Amino acid sequence: MKFSYLIKGVVASVFGAAMLLTGGTAQADYPCKEATFIVPYSPGGGSDQMARRLVPGLEEALGVGVNIVYKTGGGGAVGFSELHRSAPDGCTFSNTVVPNVIISSKGEGVGYKPGDFAYIGMTESSAGTLMVPKDSKYKTIEDFIAAANENPGMLTVAGTGGSGLSRWTQLESVLGIETTYVPVGGGVGKMIPMLAGSHVDGAATGANHATKHKGIVDAILVAGANEVPTLPGVPNEPDWNYVITWGLMAPPGTPSDIVETLNAALRSAASDPAVQDALTKGGYVTHDMTVAEVNAFMDAEIAKYAD
Amino acid sequence: MFEALLMAISPTYLMYMTIGVLLGLVVGTLPGLTATMGTALLVPFTFGLPTGEGIAMLGGLYVCAMFSDAIPACLVNTPGTPAAMATGFDGHPMVKQGRGQEAIVAACFSSALGTIFGAACYLLLAWPMVSVALKFGPPQFFWLGVFALTIIGSLAGKSILKGLAGAAIGIIISCIGISHAAEVNRFTLNIPELRGGVSLVAALIGVFAVPQVLSMILNLRKEEYVAEYKPEKGVILKTIIKVVSAPIHFLRSGVIGAFIGILPGAGSPIAAIVSYNEALRWSKDKSQYGKGDVRGVTASEIANNAAAPAAMIPLVTLGVPGSAPAAVIAGALMLRGLNPGPELFGTNATLVYSFGWSLLIAGIVVFFIGMLATPILVRIIKIPLRLLAPLIMFLAIIGAYAIRNNVFDVYLMLIIGLFVFLIRPLGFHPGPIGLGFILGPIIEPSLVQALYISHAVGVQRVFFSGSVSIILISLSVISVSAVAISRYRSRKKENAS
Repeated sequence: MKFSYLIKGVVASVFGAAMLLTGGTAQADYPCKEATFIVPYSPGGGSDQMARRLVPGLEEALGVGVNIVYKTGGGGAVGFSELHRSAPDGCTFSNTVVPNVIISSKGEGVGYKPGDFAYIGMTESSAGTLMVPKDSKYKTIEDFIAAANENPGMLTVAGTGGSGLSRWTQLESVLGIETTYVPVGGGVGKMIPMLAGSHVDGAATGANHATKHKGIVDAILVAGANEVPTLPGVPNEPDWNYVITWGLMAPPGTPSDIVETLNAALRSAASDPAVQDALTKGGYVTHDMTVAEVNAFMDAEIAKYAD
Repeated sequence: MFEALLMAISPTYLMYMTIGVLLGLVVGTLPGLTATMGTALLVPFTFGLPTGEGIAMLGGLYVCAMFSDAIPACLVNTPGTPAAMATGFDGHPMVKQGRGQEAIVAACFSSALGTIFGAACYLLLAWPMVSVALKFGPPQFFWLGVFALTIIGSLAGKSILKGLAGAAIGIIISCIGISHAAEVNRFTLNIPELRGGVSLVAALIGVFAVPQVLSMILNLRKEEYVAEYKPEKGVILKTIIKVVSAPIHFLRSGVIGAFIGILPGAGSPIAAIVSYNEALRWSKDKSQYGKGDVRGVTASEIANNAAAPAAMIPLVTLGVPGSAPAAVIAGALMLRGLNPGPELFGTNATLVYSFGWSLLIAGIVVFFIGMLATPILVRIIKIPLRLLAPLIMFLAIIGAYAIRNNVFDVYLMLIIGLFVFLIRPLGFHPGPIGLGFILGPIIEPSLVQALYISHAVGVQRVFFSGSVSIILISLSVISVSAVAISRYRSRKKENAS
């Protein structure tokens, strides 16, 4: 696997010449000698793992090496705007997270609109989930609602920054409760110990996190109509409109035939049984979208957050 | 656990762990290549290995980087990673006095001890320690940050006010960008690149390396070398005896390092700062701190190394990494389909314990490799300034660029460095400014979150209740008043004489 980094002079000598040996022959319909995969979040995080799961399959399908480059900061905005500025030749692409890419674009001076990008495909999604600490007084969503009604505004719920806030207030209005929202930045990793130590009463984030941290937190409500297989018996709230979707995107103006090539490569990488298995066990729903489907999906998502 | 030890001392484990240690030596020594970056770069190369060997290699890199970052901190006053900032406070003055070898040996031996201490905590005390870590929520992190800030009293030099102003500058710069909590742009001047904030690593390189290089250039005609290189026979043994004969100092630094290491989000840099400050508080003769006291080096290095294995404790018990390199190791495990946390502990405790043993043995390997490398590394100061200054600048630019692959970070590094260089003659020290950079990202988001929580339950209950908060508040108050009293006394003495 090829994994180079921009200061090759220093690093290549350190980490061995192995990474320079790959390269292979580029496929006729993919014009790049190598590809750059921008990860807009920290090493070790969810997007990094997604990138690393997909890179072997992408390299095989595209016939070139794929280098992961981290451009972290600003809740993904740094990496997204870097991609926005990159040459639209299909040689550079990045993770995309919906709704993060939409919400972050609302900031002043960010320089990109979610509709600008050339979306390659979406591979997985996870339903919003309300979690409580294992030893919480509130064992069920009914307990939670009753406590919130008894003392309006007294329960605290953590979520990820601004996108978490918009999804949490939506659930509040569905359930007719009033709580205090506590925004957590810099990844869900910081939210889990806050919840496990009962510094907040609940936390709202993806079912993937509720699955991963099953040992220390309990899920009590899942967004949407479908049960999450890794969280059996957790009730649904069909009107809670919270889904996090992950995929790949390319800079604005990337030619459609290259987007098609990338879409095919992504779908073949994501269809690897090992990737599918890891996702299913991790509490995700897997997706396989054509370019037309992903564009329709994005139009709908952008409209959802239009206000 | 015995079975795990046998695994950890098997030849393949030892070999890969030692390769990791060697890579860590390089990664830590180069400013800008942090332990996080190093482990992230190494992960793909571990895929071909069995899990145990793979994570042992990553762990070896991590703990060795926590030693080798002290080398540039001592020799050229530029911490290799943020965790070595406090090491340089005394390490660099030692080098200037011609005690470079002593400084590096002390750093190496205390790093080894610290790693072993942290790994022992991992092996023996993981569960009780993590229950303490869970008591830390936003208000407790806020008070921990405030407590760490009280070190300004010892860093500020002549004027406390300028020390506070320096830390404030650091904290304000650390607030630039999209706020962690509410996604609001702050101080970004409509420059899109600033939305991602100022990278801590680039800023620290700017604060320390750039003024250093500039003053080297200005002094070229007066000085030809950073310091004299005086190899001293028997210095290794003498330094080791010095460290070993202060067991309380070792325990205090180790305990502080391990406890701060397990707190997710705090990590090695803060462990080193708090440990340095406590070493100073509890020592009888404070006069040499900041001027080349070897205890300053050992306090910082024991703690930042103890924090590294300790950062794995919340990972294996809760599934929550205690530091950024631990997050990378967590990612490496998850890519193998393993779920670090209670689940992995339950299904594969041998793997979890063998990792602990590997970290412990890595401490020993770090010592021997460090000892072999020291005589060569110390010779860096034999490079004439006219060659060393451009070399440091070159590494600083690469380092600032490497951390986020962003040329904008290089400009920021240069601007911040020039700024610090210009305000230094006014009595501002780089230490407090760097401290602000490190503590800002802990203090500010935790303050905001605690204030949000206090909407629900009231400010008083959030900030001023619970044993952890009370202890941290009391320590801060004691710390501040001790500084005030000693300053008052020394001023009185000055006036009298």
